[in-house]
Amino acid sequence: MSQAPLFSSAGELANLVVNSNLIDVAWANIPEIQIGQAAFPCSVEPMDYSPTPNRTIVVFASSPNGTQYPLPEGGHLVQSSLFQFLSPNECPSVSINRAALDLFTSLESQLHGLKTKLIEREGQLIITGHSLGGSVAALFTLCLLDSMDKKSKCRPICITFGSPLLGDFDLQHSQWNSFFLHVVSNKDPVPGLFLPSSRSPSTSSHSQTSVYKPFGTYLLCSEHGCACFDDPDLILKILTVASSEVSGELQVVDYGEMLRNLKNKAIWKGPQLAGERYGNSFSEGIVMELETIGIDTAKLNIDINGMEREARSLTKKTKASEAKKLNDIKKAMANLEWYKKKAEDEKKSYYDCFRNEDKKRHVDAKNFMEELTIYWEDMVAEAERKPQKEGKSFRTGWLFAGTTYRRMVEPLDIADFYQGGDGRDYINSKRSQHYKLLEQWYKEAAKPPTREDLDSKKKKVSILLTEDSCFWAHVEEAILSCQSLTNATSTTKQRESSWENLVMFGEYVMEQIENCAVSPEIFLNGSTFMKWWGEYKAYIHNFRNFYSSRLVEYMKRGSYNQYG
Amino acid sequence: MGETVGNLIGLNDEVIHPAANLAVEAHNSPSKQFLVKKIKIRHDLSSVVVFAFSGSMLPKDWSGQPTFAKTEIATGEFRSLTSLNDGGDAVVNGSFLRRFKDVIGNLSKAKELKEATEKKRQVVFAGYSSGGPIAILATLYFLEKQTPSPRCLTFGSPLVGDRIFGHALRREGWSDYFTHFVMKYDIIPRIMLSPSSTEHEQILDYFKSKFDRKNINPAPPSGFYLTVMGNASSVASYEACRLMGCRNPSLDIIKSFIELSPYRPSGTYVFCTGNGNLVVVKNPNAVLQILIHCAELGESNTAEVEKRSLDEHSAYLSELKDCLGMQAVVSLDGGPATATLNDLGLSPQAMLCLQAAEEFENRRSRNLENFRKYLEKVEVELEKMRKYKENAQISRLGYYDSFKLQNEDDDFHANVSRLELAGMWDEIKEMLKEFELPDDFEKKREIIDLGTKYRRLVEPLDIANFYRHSKDKETGAYVIGGGPRPKRYRFIQRWLEHDEKEEFGSRSESLFWADVEQLGIDIKKKGYVQEIEERIQQVERNLIAWIGDRSLDDDVLLENSTFVKWWRDLPPQHKPKSDRIEKLIGEMSERVTQGTKI
Repeated sequence: MSQAPLFSSAGELANLVVNSNLIDVAWANIPEIQIGQAAFPCSVEPMDYSPTPNRTIVVFASSPNGTQYPLPEGGHLVQSSLFQFLSPNECPSVSINRAALDLFTSLESQLHGLKTKLIEREGQLIITGHSLGGSVAALFTLCLLDSMDKKSKCRPICITFGSPLLGDFDLQHSQWNSFFLHVVSNKDPVPGLFLPSSRSPSTSSHSQTSVYKPFGTYLLCSEHGCACFDDPDLILKILTVASSEVSGELQVVDYGEMLRNLKNKAIWKGPQLAGERYGNSFSEGIVMELETIGIDTAKLNIDINGMEREARSLTKKTKASEAKKLNDIKKAMANLEWYKKKAEDEKKSYYDCFRNEDKKRHVDAKNFMEELTIYWEDMVAEAERKPQKEGKSFRTGWLFAGTTYRRMVEPLDIADFYQGGDGRDYINSKRSQHYKLLEQWYKEAAKPPTREDLDSKKKKVSILLTEDSCFWAHVEEAILSCQSLTNATSTTKQRESSWENLVMFGEYVMEQIENCAVSPEIFLNGSTFMKWWGEYKAYIHNFRNFYSSRLVEYMKRGSYNQYG
Repeated sequence: MGETVGNLIGLNDEVIHPAANLAVEAHNSPSKQFLVKKIKIRHDLSSVVVFAFSGSMLPKDWSGQPTFAKTEIATGEFRSLTSLNDGGDAVVNGSFLRRFKDVIGNLSKAKELKEATEKKRQVVFAGYSSGGPIAILATLYFLEKQTPSPRCLTFGSPLVGDRIFGHALRREGWSDYFTHFVMKYDIIPRIMLSPSSTEHEQILDYFKSKFDRKNINPAPPSGFYLTVMGNASSVASYEACRLMGCRNPSLDIIKSFIELSPYRPSGTYVFCTGNGNLVVVKNPNAVLQILIHCAELGESNTAEVEKRSLDEHSAYLSELKDCLGMQAVVSLDGGPATATLNDLGLSPQAMLCLQAAEEFENRRSRNLENFRKYLEKVEVELEKMRKYKENAQISRLGYYDSFKLQNEDDDFHANVSRLELAGMWDEIKEMLKEFELPDDFEKKREIIDLGTKYRRLVEPLDIANFYRHSKDKETGAYVIGGGPRPKRYRFIQRWLEHDEKEEFGSRSESLFWADVEQLGIDIKKKGYVQEIEERIQQVERNLIAWIGDRSLDDDVLLENSTFVKWWRDLPPQHKPKSDRIEKLIGEMSERVTQGTKI
């Protein structure tokens, strides 16, 4: 079956931007301020300009000198703790362009006050700047985004004109990416200033592979038209070409003039294509768009097929398919809950049921388990790719469900691990990263329980899941410790450490019981926990007759019969 | 080739030109609200009665507050003009609506209209320029009243309604009754895509003095074309982004910073290319793209095109005279035919937009096809549910209470079916929200029926699940405005109510259990206050009515059901319909006993 046609909307999006007065408004006040600021490298002027009520515009202007003759080493990247928050959990450090960072830091106290003021505002907030001023505007916007929470009523957008690349961080997986619009003329050398020129031979000692990463959407313009792209690799390629073609003659681009020209162009019939149509709507569209902004696709070696493949894979994920997926996940959970209930009906814990292989039901449970694991691994990975704060608010929505999943499914992974008898030390050797993160996030988000919480928990402990999803791993390790104690080949040292483990385990279990944090199913006859207790009791009886602990008392007295 | 406009729009060709004539005449007769004319069709001697409306070029009759004079319309006489899911009510230009309301009283009373209805003559509402919107609204008014379908013909009419407006028209199957003739460069059909401005006023002033005949050759304004078409072009670009499946998340952010015109074309458009050819287009997205792209500047200079955009507004009569009845008509639907589009002078980019518009329609049809397979799966799950209910009734507990207990394998399997079905209907719900299914999906008999069956059978289980887990403590009662009740049920209920022309909220029989559960909780909290008493009476009335029309299943009446137990516990003074309901319970008990015996 032939695939449905795909389209590239880069040109249409650019048309929308150019025809709306959004960027006119953003640009309108920049030239005027710039003239007044010639003496300073960069100045900040928050302005309330209200074409409609509820609109605030903040302009960062830089003097022409500041960008025409950039500081030596201005292109260097320096690590910045100030912008550490941009890094996702995955990669720990963030570097920012030195020139921009220096300017930003010199204005920091002033900007801090401005930020506090703006966050209180309601409505549209346009933050804009030209050249290095745009870089500062972007840095300021990032700080603002990090300070905003769900209650904030201001809706920011950052629009820069001819600004150089800013840093090595990557916002591709972040919602923040969509708040940035960078307007760049193909006649402007500044945006590509810090890129290794494509002209200079790659063997030259000066050339370094660029670590700068563009973020946000680029409105790339030429005298013939414009197009909007947000693919960082493509943008890098285009900027490199543009900078190599204009380098040498640093001229200041008049963005106001350029916008006026583009507005006229927007209602002109586009260039007529020479020759036949390409037959593929995607490549036809993108070739036209790139030609419009002065890029020859053949020469630049742009992988249009690859772009199409990626676009195609993206279109598969829709709100409708997500809604379906969510219900599938609920269904898989319901199935596991039922698996657990069936086990209980037979007076077994579902952990033991699974550990001791229960024919067909086991296979089914395994399938549901896998389905759930794939889903949650994806969710965790997605949260991990976002800037820290955004990742955090992203996951609060589903952390509760994720915790239920972890408590339900991880015991089954543990059962799988220890089943053969060869498994040792699940927690350190086998535990999946996504469980660790889910647990860590839950602990960060959970409030300490109150007295009432505990009381209400006591009442319904019978239907709760064991809170520590690694509980059974601790039990299995305790059994191994018991075996090591009675094993004739064990060294004294091994025995000592085993005994120590068992003492600690006893404390741990007692604490769980007191907090109503374990399901009463652990006390069911024949459970792995009761198996441990049998071996442990025998060992104490035979070798440490006088030893006692709170757990030993609790178990000997049979108090667990009243638990739950 | 080989078809005339009349064939394509289902109206005799002989009507169109006289209708256009009358429309122009009526537009320039401000002393009369409308003119009427009977047109005899030569070949079958039947008659068509045309009503044409007067116009006004005063800015206050075109624009108003808020911007674009946006006014929600779906009330009273226009109750169909709304989305049956999350989309809200249709928006129309409030100034046009006001002018329509001035006319409708006299129009309804017109003796020519009565006569036409009695003699079963085809009625046509026609309008030129600002008479167009009145013709459109009048046609809708009578379509809502279910009078024999009138037709609407407009010539150079401005846009009237938004996307939901067009969606509702297509959902109701009315779209084909509307035909709009548009000249290639005429500015008026595009003017509503741009906010009112000094440029608007210049244009209207120019036409006013021209139509008033005080000034035969007024000086044409200049400099407006760039503004008006620029704004119109951003609307087209925004829609093109959506059609093309733009994945850039900045689109939504940027959109929230700019206010685009809400108005979109609907109905059938006939583009007059200026060289004798007509192009007929029904795909509303394609119409919008053509409206903008065919009027783009090309080789000729701006001033020339600007002048043409004014002149062509007065050129309908001569243009139509030449090309009506000729065979030189091309229908665009079914794929952009490059040859004809050359007459419209579209650029390669415009062709891509048209291709995207076509692909959007194709995708909707494909989605519908996929759902046909899907709906079989829904049937299978529903059949499982029905069996579950039957078995539960034999055990004399009823499936609601059985499900609430979740003790048996069957209860579990029903829960899995419930989730399976929820997934499928949620997917449908999301697709409808994104307009990814055909516009008439919510009006299709088999889908309303299946949805209603699903809602009545399965929603009680959602309610059981809700109250089993005492979720009311976290979220409030199951049924409160915008509350926890899943939207899929709200929408499906609305489809039925809309189809039966009932008030929204009247077909809530699937909520019976939620009313009972919540009353039980609220009685404990508040005691038998007046509000509670009224609610009990309502529950009793509902029960009797819904058992009567079989929209509520009789197993609520089983002796052990939550309802019967709750109702029996009520003090007698709070049960006005006691005898009637006891009788129903008794009858049910008998039925079950007999059923078990067999």
